[in-house]
Amino acid sequence: MAEYDEKEQKLTIKLVYYGPALSGKTTNLMSLHDLIDPQLSGELMTMETKNDRTLFFDLLPIGIRAPSGLLIKFKLFTVPGQVAHDGTRKAVLSRTDGVVFVADSQTNQKINNGESFQNLADNAMRVGLNFESLPVVVQFNKRDLSNIVTEEEIKERWGKTNWPLHFSTATKGEGIKETFESLLHLVYLDMERRFKLKSEHGLDEKEFIKSVMSSTEMQF
Amino acid sequence: MRIIPQNQFDRDLDIHELLKGIDQKKIYPALKKLLGESVRLIDTKGNIIFGQEDVTKELKRLPLTVQIEPVAYIESEDEENIGGVASLLEQLLKSSERYHMASDLHIESVHADYEKLQKKHEALIASEIKYKELAGNLEQRVQEQVKTIDTAQRQLYQAEKLASVGQLAAGVAHEINNPVSFIRSNLSTADDYVKDILQFAEQFNAGLDIDALKSSWQEKDLDFILKDFSTLLKESIDGADRVKTIVADLKDFSKVDSADVAIADLNEVIRSVCNVARSQVSQNAELEQSLNDLPNIKCQSGHLGQVFLNMIQNSAQAMKQGRGKIKVSSAFIDDEIIIKISDNGCGMSATNIERIFDPFYTTQDVGAGTGLGLTVSMDIITSHDGRIEVESQKGKGTTFIITLPIRE
Repeated sequence: MAEYDEKEQKLTIKLVYYGPALSGKTTNLMSLHDLIDPQLSGELMTMETKNDRTLFFDLLPIGIRAPSGLLIKFKLFTVPGQVAHDGTRKAVLSRTDGVVFVADSQTNQKINNGESFQNLADNAMRVGLNFESLPVVVQFNKRDLSNIVTEEEIKERWGKTNWPLHFSTATKGEGIKETFESLLHLVYLDMERRFKLKSEHGLDEKEFIKSVMSSTEMQF
Repeated sequence: MRIIPQNQFDRDLDIHELLKGIDQKKIYPALKKLLGESVRLIDTKGNIIFGQEDVTKELKRLPLTVQIEPVAYIESEDEENIGGVASLLEQLLKSSERYHMASDLHIESVHADYEKLQKKHEALIASEIKYKELAGNLEQRVQEQVKTIDTAQRQLYQAEKLASVGQLAAGVAHEINNPVSFIRSNLSTADDYVKDILQFAEQFNAGLDIDALKSSWQEKDLDFILKDFSTLLKESIDGADRVKTIVADLKDFSKVDSADVAIADLNEVIRSVCNVARSQVSQNAELEQSLNDLPNIKCQSGHLGQVFLNMIQNSAQAMKQGRGKIKVSSAFIDDEIIIKISDNGCGMSATNIERIFDPFYTTQDVGAGTGLGLTVSMDIITSHDGRIEVESQKGKGTTFIITLPIRE
């Protein structure tokens, strides 16, 4: 659903952090905001929260410039994870170009993870996204806790799927950049196919990812 | 304030949208106090949002950014304070952006739910219209259905009647054929006897002597002939009477066709049915009657006769191991007429008993029975406010008990 404004030379890409309640979606964005240094970095906007739970969404805007002058703007959203907010979750998921599914590694969260992933697939269909071709990356968070499902078991279960799998501890910033890079890789392939980033804007995948993750260039 | 439901909450908001809900009449004077009369706010296309058109002095310009790109520019000659004011304005715009995004997201998710509800509502209205139409036509359609059922039922009765009359006709034909053929044979013999007697009469008239006549008498055995002749005639008269009786019974039975309600003695109906049925069932069973006095009742005697015939035919078909006995009895007990038709045939299993009154249920070979006899019987008895009960034991026999109330 990426929005390309030819006159303004602006491409807007929407990415969504999805997952069950309290799995660490907001922490992912906060951590990412601290860890990466994109060409253009906005402030993390966190919406009204009640007991630290996301009610609407969080938004982290970042941007890069292609050699052609094209501004590529990323809008990173989180959804509210609580089951009750499905209407909001659906609206936030609308028009997304990629998803990081943040699962909770704790053994007692297996069912919640499964239900939330099913909810992602269902809602994607409801808002008119093709879930089969949508860039999706799966992240198992909270690896620093003791009562967690082993990596072997998770790999056994998720390794056979098409979705890249990552392990993270968002509170310590571990695995956050890797997860995001992995999604950027999938998103680049999609954008390159649709908007000819390389041939028309001189931006290859390596430069695309590098500009997002760490830039030495100056901001506006 | 304008609310456009189809606004996507995640779109980029321009300065004009961000300033919605903020009172510009208060902002502009406040900015003038902070940064002087020269202060200007300019959108990304270069249009002045507020401030003076013609500026002669050199102005410092700073971008206002809410996400990553500028949404507007602020200009002022006050280079010292412009940075702080820009930062203040950015915070104001960011707060406005949060409010707009949250409110648009809310509208978007509510709108999606509303659309879903509206679709449901439309479907409900459509089905309501359908049901209203249906309710309007209901009376008429029920009447049509009743008419159809009525016709079908009449056809059913007719079919069943034809079937039992057909079976009856075969039995009756046999019964009539028997006396008719021995009457025919007797008449033929009588014809020979008359010839012999005529010959003797000619000899007598020719004036033969007494000895010759005597020897001719002896030769023709006229003593036997005359005696036998008388027997033949008597037998033939009996035979003719039998045919007459059968025909009379048939005539009675032909009242089966009449659906008229009339006062009738059910014993008469039973007798008439037994007389007609006897010949038909005689190969299978002996038909016994044990009839006690009954009050006359108002009924469709023709239809009841058909019921009794069905029961008797049914019993006769149960005689699978040699000739048996069918007993028809009547009694008047506690203001009810009770008619029992019992046989010592093969009996029925419990599962068969459950289904014998179902239409088209038959244990007979295909074509041997319509499977309607007992169904029709049940309908007839029910229409007389009566009931039919069945007692049966496999291998021992079956008893049908028909109970009819006395109707005013």
